[in-house]
Amino acid sequence: MKSSSILALLAFAVLVGLFVVLPGGVKQQMQGSLLQMVLPVLETGASMQAQIGGMQGGLKRLDELERENRRLRLENEQLRTANSMLRGLEDRVNRLAKALDFREQSPFRLIPAHIVSRDNVSWWNCCVIDRGRANGIATDMAVLTESGLAGKVTTVSRNTAVVLLVSDESLRVSVSIEGTQEQGIVSGTRASSNYLPQLLIRFLSKTAAIKSGMKVFTTGTGGVFPSGVLVGTVRDFTPRELEGVATVRPSVDLANMHDVFVVSGVK
Amino acid sequence: MIRFFCVLLLLILGAFLFQFYLPPVLLLHGASILIVPSLYFYGAVALPFPLMLALTLYTGLVHDLLIVPQAGLRVEFPAGLSAVVYLLPGLVMHGLRPLFLRYRWTWHLFLAELSAALTPILPAAHYIILSFERGEFFYSDAIIWRILGPGVMSLVIAPCLFFILTPLAQLLHFRPGLRSVS
Repeated sequence: MKSSSILALLAFAVLVGLFVVLPGGVKQQMQGSLLQMVLPVLETGASMQAQIGGMQGGLKRLDELERENRRLRLENEQLRTANSMLRGLEDRVNRLAKALDFREQSPFRLIPAHIVSRDNVSWWNCCVIDRGRANGIATDMAVLTESGLAGKVTTVSRNTAVVLLVSDESLRVSVSIEGTQEQGIVSGTRASSNYLPQLLIRFLSKTAAIKSGMKVFTTGTGGVFPSGVLVGTVRDFTPRELEGVATVRPSVDLANMHDVFVVSGVK
Repeated sequence: MIRFFCVLLLLILGAFLFQFYLPPVLLLHGASILIVPSLYFYGAVALPFPLMLALTLYTGLVHDLLIVPQAGLRVEFPAGLSAVVYLLPGLVMHGLRPLFLRYRWTWHLFLAELSAALTPILPAAHYIILSFERGEFFYSDAIIWRILGPGVMSLVIAPCLFFILTPLAQLLHFRPGLRSVS
């Protein structure tokens, strides 16, 4: 082996060792800086993705109209394209109106944010939002949508933040089940993803009378998540040797959510 | 050589970002489409050893900073560890550099397919590290597909990337195979 190769290998080992032993705070700062750097790319990617999604919807509608009114197809093409774009806008307006309504009615102080990227490629379920320290966001703040709990903030930079989603195994939330005295801890599983989320509630009593369709709410224990936020509905309940375990269908569509709210306090 | 190396660094960063917008393949239990490993393995087989190590460090670090949540108090997967994960299959590819330098398309195709076969090592290694950290090891069909699925899809992606990167390298005057002939 050449001496230059040995030196390179040594340098590699030293640098890897250095990065591994760096304090968590420094790594968070590094992650925040990198995300801040690539934010324009992520924003462009998110808007392109939305446009492509809108175009696909538009083409479907064009196909339907084409069958109904073949004779006027060429004449009306421009109008129909415009119409499809407006429908895309209408969807967005409806979504934002719903979100605004939720924000006004919510007892929490909420910071609205838009998801700019979603991680589908690793064992962690997280996403990046376009709001950060400059907007008052800090680590460990809960993240909601109008449908329920989405996750919590882990890393914050000036204008971005990483949100660990409720489908991730490492995010544990204290929950209670509607209509019972049962409390447990909900978390994702390692095989869980945004597209195929699998949530489990553990530490329930074996004899609990839990039925499919019961709603699951946060208890507020621990101080990170406010109490009374919907997490999902029970899918099934299995008594095990020491505890009862329930699987939960999350109330938030994690694969298709676009806008979220970060809870910055109580009104 | 340095120009090609820098372009490869940019391509890898771009591929990491592009991957965010690729939907998982639900037919394969939500397996992801990974482009970065193919780019990295091309670099590992084409670049000389010191630059290959630099590429490994860069790829591992960018992977951890872009993908792994670095939660403050309890970091379960410290940034930088992925460099070691990338290094192991990277060394296998680098060991086959003499085949790459023969500059025959058949060998390049073989190396591309080999890189696809090595791709599942990356999610598998991450999964094993995570399982040790979380103190519980289990597997299911979904997990096996999320490990093997990227490799299956790389069987198609890797040859395409290899055959794009070779002319790109030549365009940037990086011709390791041809240089050895002349």
